[in-house]
Amino acid sequence: MEKLQKPAGKKILFYSILWAVVYIGCLLIVKKTDTSRSMGVVISFLPTITFGLFIYNYIKGVGAMDEVQRRIQLEAVVWAFSLGLLLLMTLGLLDFVVVLKKEDWGYTHIIPYFFLFYFFGIFISRRKYN
Amino acid sequence: MKNTLKVERAKKNWTQEDLAGKIGISRQSVNSIETGKFTPSTILALKMAKVFGTTVETVFQLEKHD
Repeated sequence: MEKLQKPAGKKILFYSILWAVVYIGCLLIVKKTDTSRSMGVVISFLPTITFGLFIYNYIKGVGAMDEVQRRIQLEAVVWAFSLGLLLLMTLGLLDFVVVLKKEDWGYTHIIPYFFLFYFFGIFISRRKYN
Repeated sequence: MKNTLKVERAKKNWTQEDLAGKIGISRQSVNSIETGKFTPSTILALKMAKVFGTTVETVFQLEKHD
């Protein structure tokens, strides 16, 4: 059992930033520029590559953590998943009774909430174990 | 489950950081275990007992409600 090596933590951070930059770049391209439909589809799938790299490195990084840190990560991911699911479920139900503006509640607007929920989970779990 | 990690550390004059370094975990993790917030796995409990040169039963004891 090894504690999370600093280079592993830096690697996760690097790939998360890379993914965010590529995602935001692609978002701006498809939103703001006049790209063709086929090119837009290709660009929409581009962040999948950097997201895959981020997830691969995140899982590798979690594997290098000690068991307390792993528990903290697990609980944070459970918080993020549960709250994300709750948000989607509530929005899905609300969509039947209230007209939700696409500009406010589109798919791209929901993504930051998952990060917010993850960091909320990290906060709760760290308080619990540390 | 209660433990005598603090006592064992004091006997060796080790800080939490020293113990963490010897068993390859973070200081925060040692603190979580020492304060009873986290129950370690068998392998980690055995590692801790080993570095203290004692048995697992000396370091960790079951309580009535366990």
